[in-house]
Amino acid sequence: MARNRYDMDEVLEDSFDLNQLKRLAKYISPYKKKMVGIIFLMLSASALTMLIPIFFQRIMDYYIPGKNMKMIVTMGLMTLAVAAYSAVSLGLKIKTMSVIGQNIIHAIRNDIFCHLQELPFSYYDDRPHGKIQVRVVNYVNSISDLLSNGIVNTITDLCNLFFIIICMLYYDVRLTLLCLCGLPLLALVIVFIKKKQRRAWQVQSNKQSNLNAYIAESINGIWVTQSFVREEENTGIFNHLSRNYRQSWMRAVMFNFTMGPSVDMISAITTAFIYILGIRWILAPDTTLTVGVLIAFTAYISRFWAPINTLANFYNSLLTAISYLERIFETIDEPVNVKDAKDATIMPPIEGKVEFKDVSFSYEEGQKILNKINFTAQKGETYAIVGPTGAGKSTIVNLISRFYNVDSGQILIDGVDISKVTIRSLRTQMGVMMQDSFIFAGTIMDNIRYGNLSATDEQVVEAAKTVCAHDFISQMENGYYTEVNERGSRLSAGQRQLISFARALLADPKILILDEATSSIDTETETLLQKGLNRLLEDRTSFIIAHRLSTIKNADCIMYVDKGDILERGNHEELLAKKGEYYHLYMSQFDFLK
Amino acid sequence: MTAIKWFLSFLKKYSGLMILGLFLTTIIAALSIVNPYLSGIIVDHVIIAGNYDLLPILVGCLLGVTLVTGVLRFLYQVVFETASQGVLYNMRDKVYRKLLQEDFAFYNKKRTGDLMSRQTGDMDAIRHFVAYVIYAVYQNILLFLFALMMIFTVNTKLALCMLAVLPFTALAAYKQSKEVKPAFRRNRECFSSLNAFVQENVSGNRVVKAFAKEDYEIEKFQKENDKFKSAQINASRVWMKYVPIFEILSYSLTIVLMIYGGYMVVQEQITLGDLVKVNGYLWMLNVPLRMAGWWINDIQNFIASIEKIYATYSEEPHVKTPVCKDNNGNTIPYPRTPIRGDIEFRKVSYRADDEDIVMDINFSVKAGQTVGIIGSTGAGKSTLMNLLCRFYDTTSGEVLVDGKNVKEMDLYNLRDHIGMAMQDVFLFSDTIEGNIAYGRPNCTFEEVKKAAIMADANHFISALPEGYDTIVGERGVGLSGGQKQRISLARALLKNPSILILDDTTSAVDMETESYIQTQLKNIKKDCTVFIIAYRISSIKDADLILVMDNGRIIEHGTHDSLLSRNGYYAHAFRNQYGEIPYDLLEEEKNNAQKGGR
Repeated sequence: MARNRYDMDEVLEDSFDLNQLKRLAKYISPYKKKMVGIIFLMLSASALTMLIPIFFQRIMDYYIPGKNMKMIVTMGLMTLAVAAYSAVSLGLKIKTMSVIGQNIIHAIRNDIFCHLQELPFSYYDDRPHGKIQVRVVNYVNSISDLLSNGIVNTITDLCNLFFIIICMLYYDVRLTLLCLCGLPLLALVIVFIKKKQRRAWQVQSNKQSNLNAYIAESINGIWVTQSFVREEENTGIFNHLSRNYRQSWMRAVMFNFTMGPSVDMISAITTAFIYILGIRWILAPDTTLTVGVLIAFTAYISRFWAPINTLANFYNSLLTAISYLERIFETIDEPVNVKDAKDATIMPPIEGKVEFKDVSFSYEEGQKILNKINFTAQKGETYAIVGPTGAGKSTIVNLISRFYNVDSGQILIDGVDISKVTIRSLRTQMGVMMQDSFIFAGTIMDNIRYGNLSATDEQVVEAAKTVCAHDFISQMENGYYTEVNERGSRLSAGQRQLISFARALLADPKILILDEATSSIDTETETLLQKGLNRLLEDRTSFIIAHRLSTIKNADCIMYVDKGDILERGNHEELLAKKGEYYHLYMSQFDFLK
Repeated sequence: MTAIKWFLSFLKKYSGLMILGLFLTTIIAALSIVNPYLSGIIVDHVIIAGNYDLLPILVGCLLGVTLVTGVLRFLYQVVFETASQGVLYNMRDKVYRKLLQEDFAFYNKKRTGDLMSRQTGDMDAIRHFVAYVIYAVYQNILLFLFALMMIFTVNTKLALCMLAVLPFTALAAYKQSKEVKPAFRRNRECFSSLNAFVQENVSGNRVVKAFAKEDYEIEKFQKENDKFKSAQINASRVWMKYVPIFEILSYSLTIVLMIYGGYMVVQEQITLGDLVKVNGYLWMLNVPLRMAGWWINDIQNFIASIEKIYATYSEEPHVKTPVCKDNNGNTIPYPRTPIRGDIEFRKVSYRADDEDIVMDINFSVKAGQTVGIIGSTGAGKSTLMNLLCRFYDTTSGEVLVDGKNVKEMDLYNLRDHIGMAMQDVFLFSDTIEGNIAYGRPNCTFEEVKKAAIMADANHFISALPEGYDTIVGERGVGLSGGQKQRISLARALLKNPSILILDDTTSAVDMETESYIQTQLKNIKKDCTVFIIAYRISSIKDADLILVMDNGRIIEHGTHDSLLSRNGYYAHAFRNQYGEIPYDLLEEEKNNAQKGGR
């Protein structure tokens, strides 16, 4: 699948409604008992409140004609008791259900986040990050309403409806059946608009995602925007996305808005029939229907339609929620390609021998990046990888950490195939420093400690000293406790590289991988850094990718890689003597002297 | 309160729609009284009194009223939703524009996800308020008043009795809203912080994986997730406390009607039909009371959100274009003037957070000259360039472009003439063509390609299966460091600037590529002032002026040769980088070349 851009809607592959609901049900099921309890409470409350019209009817039918004030007051007090009961149970319901609802949200969000941690680089590379984030945060939030109120309300309303129907049946069967005739009509309306409504909400969730992605990029790329004076243009794009969001929203809610009036209309029609036929039946000679019963019955009609109205609302929010749910579940279902084998063992403490045996690899089928690569790095050796851009240098080192699976061949560390051990046990023993040195929001101390969470402050400082970062860190306002953020705040690119270098060292790796790790560091600092490193690297295997040849000159072995192949290998002197690609590369740095 | 005022300024634009909506709401509220009234008549006059002839008309009215109500109900919901989306659209636009104006000082202290929440989660509360809460509250108040009025027409004493419940409701409402406000503030904060955490986790996914810190991230996430959950639950806990109170208050009306109304019928002060009629109105009094707790929650949630949005919006950037006035003192837009590219730094110092970043910088270059800047990591090289583009303002001293202080120039005009390839290459998730054309979105493909050729990027771009239409991931994932740098260089070149800044632009490209790029630069840039920040001597050797920086100061300056003979930092760096220059090999190469030439 091609990479997604902020203004492209993501294609949805799985979109079967019932499945989404079944999965949602799984999240709900731990709370079944509590919910049943609450439902009983609510039902008892609503059964009791249903007595109120009966009280009223008795007052009108018996106590007022009989001028029985005592009974009237009694009825009033009984109503008060009912009210108290229903008030307390409502409070309980809100409390319990908001806890349950939030627990479910919490669980879903947890699942999607945990799954995201397992997903490979490619998942993150293929779409704007804002689109991933919107699923974890905003989408999950959007279903919270449904969960904290929707489900219990719906079940209580359904039960209410059941009670009301029984009450109505008790009064008069024919009138009840008449009233029920409205339901098929409603079903017809629902069937009629469902497909369009569903689609409209899907579109809407996509537009929301697009907007979110653009906002995220706008903020992270703010300096580029400002330096290229793109403010107007970007505002135009933003407003375009914002407008799309608005339009899709309007279209989707329109469908929701038709539901209420439809229910009202159907209810009015049935009510009309009840009056007309009711009166006809009262007048019939062999009637069993009394005036009092008809009046009482009309009071029930509105009680019959009220829960149906809320059910219709629930249906609306359900359809809305499904368009978010399907996205959430889609992410949770995203297959994890790089994962522990079933019988994966723990990688024993790494000695440092790294072996590539006929390793082939491609990101996309048919586009070979590496073709049967072979080499063996012994413990403690430094391997440098050079070659033109796009030759596959980073790919080689990424395979050692098993960020990707090889197509064929084997990568062995100390003779152990890395695909047979757990990823965690493998990666925790490696220190990888990538060219993009990502800095988390927090203190510099926290950022370095990320490499080894149990490191003491002293160890952090020690690591910083080794990479020559200590001086500039201590000069900052709050030293190691200076707050920095993703965009790096005031840190220069070189300083950020030093911090992530310290981070990698702190992890005490047995294998160290430096992928353009020092490109933004000045040569003076680099020389100092290397002196410190030499001591550290004595018994560690390291892989270095660098364009600055002074960085790699002292490597035990230099591999010149191009077009997926190792064209030359040997140490600096050997390769120079060979007068091949490396020689050419080396000499080119003196061109400027000519 | 200023936040609310700010919000109202958006609503004002839609006051017509809002009035129309409220008008429709009023009609519906009025119509909703008609049906129970009709039912009362049906019971009184048709069923009890036996005037069956009236039935068809009454039923017809009942249906007609419902139909009209239904249509109007659909309409006013659309009206309010339209107004709400309009307000949101404009507010998003305003906030977005403001974000684009904010300066480094602002962004250095804000987390991305936090700023995003202002545009997403917080906006949602505003939407809900305009689209729903306003009319619902209004409708409920109206219903309440209508019903009360109708009960007054039946019997004053009965109505007054029912009114007695209002002060209690008001008191409860006041207390709830005081209590729930901090809960919602906290709620918004937790949302924001959760959003920020997730955003960083996603952006930093490579580091997370490289260090196998998934468990740690999950643990941290759970803390945020827990915090947000308990903030949500806390808000509903307050609500739960007040719900029973409103519920009982609402039922108390029914009880009053039963006892006092029953009493009045017994005393024959009102008829049984009156009692039925009042009973029909009762829900209109009940519902508003019962819902009071909801409304208060919604309103407080709205206030918490608008305050957050406004707080972000109201932060003024320090770096901005000074106001330009004509002779009469009227504000006019700055004239867009061309910039030649003479640059002078006069005693420039910049301090941030009690730290001297650069101090006492003095130098000047003529348009068309090239300046190389070299120095240790964090010496302040990029800061100089940021002062030139006015991403920061100098603490003291002046930066002059064409003899004019940059603080007195139009910010956009200045930046428009500067092409910058930054050290941190940020690419957008767009096609490669779109990324290169970022500064000139309307340029032709030929121009894009030309810029790419100059940056030696055309070669690898064309080798991609989709060429210039390849979409690069956010921040340029999928491309190597050198590739990203070249795209960023092409992007800066395409702007055809008067001042070109290359901040460490070739650190990740190999030597051959670099020397190719340098030749290209020499050819095209006759009248463009170029700044090159680099660590490699080879990148800056030919510059007209080389500045060597350390610890925020210029410690050496001159040309390559003069600096070499000085035998200072620069000369040291030179030896360090090239060590023993293999003169023998170079000689050999030269000879070979000559032989080959013959």
